[in-house]
Amino acid sequence: MYQYDDFDRNFLKERVAQFRDQTDRFLAGEIPDDVFQQLRLRNGLYIQRLAPMLRIAVPYGTLNATQLRKLASISRDYDKGYGHLSTRQNMQLNWPELPEVPDILAELADVNMHAIQTSGSCVRNVTTDQFAGVAADEQVDARPYAEMLRQWSTYHPEFEWLPRKFKIALNGAESDRAAIAVHDIGIQLQVDEEGRTKFDVYVGGGLGRTPAIGALIRQNLPEKHLLTYVEAILRVYNRYGRRDNKYKARIKILVKAMTPEVFGEKVDAEWDLIKGNPQELTQDEIDRIVAWFEPPDYPPVPNASSTLATQRLQDPSFNRWVQQNVAEHKQPNYAIVTLSTKATGIPPGDVTDVQMDAVADWSEKFGLGEIRISHEQNFVLPDVPQNRLFELFALARSEGLASANQALLTDVICCPGGDYCSLANAKSIPVAEEILQRFDDYDYLHDLGPLDLNISGCMNACGHHHVGHIGILGVDKRGDEFYQISLGGNATNDASLGKIIGPSFSRNEVVGVIERLLDVFVDNRAEGETFLSCYRRVGMDPFKDRVYQEEPESQSYARAG
Amino acid sequence: MPVLVKNQQIVPDPWQLLETIPDYVPTNAIVPVDQLVNTKANAVWVDGDLEVDDHGEELAKLDLVAVHFPMFADGRGLSLGTLLRNRYGFSGELRAIGEVQPDLTPFMRRCGFDAFVLESELAANTAIQCMESMSDFYQGSVIQPEPAFRRKRN
Repeated sequence: MYQYDDFDRNFLKERVAQFRDQTDRFLAGEIPDDVFQQLRLRNGLYIQRLAPMLRIAVPYGTLNATQLRKLASISRDYDKGYGHLSTRQNMQLNWPELPEVPDILAELADVNMHAIQTSGSCVRNVTTDQFAGVAADEQVDARPYAEMLRQWSTYHPEFEWLPRKFKIALNGAESDRAAIAVHDIGIQLQVDEEGRTKFDVYVGGGLGRTPAIGALIRQNLPEKHLLTYVEAILRVYNRYGRRDNKYKARIKILVKAMTPEVFGEKVDAEWDLIKGNPQELTQDEIDRIVAWFEPPDYPPVPNASSTLATQRLQDPSFNRWVQQNVAEHKQPNYAIVTLSTKATGIPPGDVTDVQMDAVADWSEKFGLGEIRISHEQNFVLPDVPQNRLFELFALARSEGLASANQALLTDVICCPGGDYCSLANAKSIPVAEEILQRFDDYDYLHDLGPLDLNISGCMNACGHHHVGHIGILGVDKRGDEFYQISLGGNATNDASLGKIIGPSFSRNEVVGVIERLLDVFVDNRAEGETFLSCYRRVGMDPFKDRVYQEEPESQSYARAG
Repeated sequence: MPVLVKNQQIVPDPWQLLETIPDYVPTNAIVPVDQLVNTKANAVWVDGDLEVDDHGEELAKLDLVAVHFPMFADGRGLSLGTLLRNRYGFSGELRAIGEVQPDLTPFMRRCGFDAFVLESELAANTAIQCMESMSDFYQGSVIQPEPAFRRKRN
């Protein structure tokens, strides 16, 4: 992974000192509230319903054991002993004290971490596939390009005060695990016949109040143009994006208003004038960054397939976990392990300091000291020898991180919701909790197959409800919390936005509604069909009919087994 | 009392910003952009959303362009400044007026602004400190076109 040099370290040190000065001046009454709000947001600090919330950047979801241990100790020393993995691969602390935040940032800087641009109307943490660099279906490792964009966008003089926040995601694998279609800029990386890295650039995707799928505006962009092309997009957006209404200020509104064709022409016209400026990447710089992400020398490990087969036969819970949470690695005899945070009784994405320390230890014991955070709010250990999986499973189970539900119904994406967030219309964590409790039969879940269920507490859509195969949105109905349900969203390849099924439901109806939806799927599915493909084939009507039909008193909904 | 900071120093302001045009236009007047032609002034003030493609060549010949920032955190003036300097070769005084908060001046400076009108002496001194708080940056800018990777990192 990328290693900081003196330049990076010095930059961070100065940025921490700068924020300390800003905080001091605010506490001394020299900076008005509305100005300090903008300054603190650019360092990831929100003032929430109960306390401040600090969002710590984990660039493209990658961190090392030392960094994770630091997050554990910070959450212990300055918070209540836990943190929250966000849908943008970052970590959030929910209870820091404002005067202590500069100290937290100084501690983070000690391990080359920060909270720069994790909020505010600027370019946010660049995200990518949590399996980047190790996935078997990868064409290009997106991390070096995410790092080049991180450096370019950090404290950019022209683009730190945009109309609204700006999110960039990259994907270099066949499966899109980075949800590039629903980002302000989504970049698909590939290699052409001559082995050169090229980018397809999508623009104007997003969730929130006006969800949109990004439009392709540039194909086969050569890698050296990455920064100048993105600069052209940002300049057009900074100049022409709306600033009169924050709900119409995202780039997707501008792209829609101009049409993607006209927007693309405007970007091209700008790009023609800046192409070849000093920001154009040099081959030396590309090589320098790519070198940091070269595959490590993997210690040779014995082929474990027969041992693994025996272990799986002997222990059904281990077998389920391998089936669901272990993915194929580029390197023979290695595996990628997802450590699910979605256990009954725990808000999705919440991890304790003890769990963080444990994961840091396992990353060294069973890997090369690297950890990833996925946008589904789980930890990932990218380099686990297959002959150690059983050992890791036992440890993960003892720490409550071995739910065998990756990509299944109970691998819920969920925002902090009304329990924490001042924007929320409704609580989301208790809904996730009820779903995890109701559907705890692994055989049933596995039989249902891949199913993304996403919950947002308001239309800002931090829980990505628009792209859940089943989406749940908290709405306010005359002061009561209600939930609107949508079907057919999808964040990966062939992305789509969910359609609302009909009138919303009260909280105590939600789990029953989910149950009916699953019954319709089980009754209608063809051999091998997933929930999403079944929905796409049969359409909304069968689901709608069942959900809104009068329920006879005695009828019970049998679950497939 | 507005205070002018130029080249990181508090200096007296030789210019006079006019919102409307009197019968006699003094030679040190900064006039609204739509009055430029009939007043033959050498200095204008413009809003951050000015369509620079329509005015850039004309503005580049002047001694001073003042860009009005309507509110804190409105970054359009930053693109305008960058384009006036880099695309149209403007070499006169580029002045930030309006909501010029000290913490925004480092960004303005790197987008080519070299003069800042602040609301008080305290704000002016804070701005001078703010502009010195960071010593180097990853990406290129108007005042340092070469990004860090072209200068020292290879």
